[in-house]
Amino acid sequence: MVLVASSPSTPPGISEKVSDSIKKAEEACEGNEVSGECAAAWDEVEELSAAASHARDKLKDSDPLEDYCKDNPETEECRTYED
Amino acid sequence: MTTLTLCTPSSSSSSSSHLSCCISSSTTEDVRLGSPLLRRQFVFYTNWRKGRRGRGASCGISCSAEARTVVIGLAADSGCGKSTFMRRLTSVFGGAAEPPRGGNPESNTLLSDTTTVICLDDYHLLDREGRKEEGVTALDPRANNFDLMYEQVKALKAGVAVEKPIYNHVTGLLDPPELILPPNLLFIEGLHPMFDPRVRDLLDFSIYLDISDEVKFAWKTQRDVEERGHSLESIQASIEARKPDFDAYVDPQKQYADVVIEVLPTQLIPGDNERKVLRVRMVMKEGVKYFNPVYLFDEGSSVSWIPCGRKLSCSYPGIKFFYGPDTYFSHEVSALEMDGQFDRLDELMYVESHLNNLSTKYYGEATEQMLKHGDFPGSNNGTGLFQTIIGLKIRELYECIVAEKSVTPLEAAKVF
Repeated sequence: MVLVASSPSTPPGISEKVSDSIKKAEEACEGNEVSGECAAAWDEVEELSAAASHARDKLKDSDPLEDYCKDNPETEECRTYED
Repeated sequence: MTTLTLCTPSSSSSSSSHLSCCISSSTTEDVRLGSPLLRRQFVFYTNWRKGRRGRGASCGISCSAEARTVVIGLAADSGCGKSTFMRRLTSVFGGAAEPPRGGNPESNTLLSDTTTVICLDDYHLLDREGRKEEGVTALDPRANNFDLMYEQVKALKAGVAVEKPIYNHVTGLLDPPELILPPNLLFIEGLHPMFDPRVRDLLDFSIYLDISDEVKFAWKTQRDVEERGHSLESIQASIEARKPDFDAYVDPQKQYADVVIEVLPTQLIPGDNERKVLRVRMVMKEGVKYFNPVYLFDEGSSVSWIPCGRKLSCSYPGIKFFYGPDTYFSHEVSALEMDGQFDRLDELMYVESHLNNLSTKYYGEATEQMLKHGDFPGSNNGTGLFQTIIGLKIRELYECIVAEKSVTPLEAAKVF
């Protein structure tokens, strides 16, 4: 029997990107906090954090049956009958 | 030499548009994906609408002009609930808007029967590497191709399909374009829908989601707290580093919006830090065509209302409404404000029954829409309520525009 995790964590690929970008941003901002490079680096962190959050949401919403049926609507278990 | 090719909508496609376009091309190569010539070809339309608006289907060379695409703009910073807002808005028009099937899995576009949602990040001029090299954030206009944004939104509005680039948020690269067919309702959401005056003029309605700094910090903390590598300091640093560009390029757009939704800390709980209870203010511009601001009790007066009392019992901290006229960036506006949270269905119904100009089609429709998405964030406070109401107002605006269009005589589609 498989137990489903209660809250999905970020897919590892994206998760690594986020933590790498944070390290890079901290480096880029050492000494010159007002520079464009610093702002761009933290903007990248924001973008990746948002992508990570969306990836988590996608995992949360996914239902294995629904996913299968989207691609195979004609199979037995996916047929719908409308009167 | 040009040849006419009829394309029929395939029954299995879940594409957004009722239009079927017949595209003529001098060679078959010109019609392949990625061709920049698509827009410059002859485009005729046949109307395969299922008679919903009482228009018969006609096919052939003589064409009926489609009711034009209504374009709505939504501006908000990253991590401010645009996705949730979009889901609520598109839901009012029926069906869930979903990413295009069979295309790039990282496509930001959403399609439903009547609506298409385009993410303006797709118009980034510089990809992530490019921005890093230039030392420029995505908030900076230099990172965005407003010319392309304008051309494509204009084309879609005129009923012409476009090949729109895709910005891949995971890789940070610009992916090959996807074909977007002109929908009945086009939503463009992102950081700069109202920045360029030409694009602004194309919008039939615009919304700005204005999240206060304290709430933004709380939401981003909630979003990122589980993320390895993030700490309160890094979240704060990211917000602060982006703030100059945000204040310079994104924030000023709110003066152009027809509706601004302000999300502020609650005033009901002294010393609150959690930001779970929110005060939400919907600032509605007066004099916008087909948009009648929502009001409480008596339009144009100021009303302070606490619904909890003898008829309705609420738990702490309760609900407080305020409605009144105001000025916003020297425009006349009406502001409706809700502070607090809904705990129960009957509170929601009670409040709905006392609001006017909601553009609902039947009693309880707003509550029903809220319940449909009870699991969305903000479903128990003003953010969910006002976003739902705006969805209903947009529906009314859309129906009025379409009705107005059907009165004027039909013209043949333009030839490029």
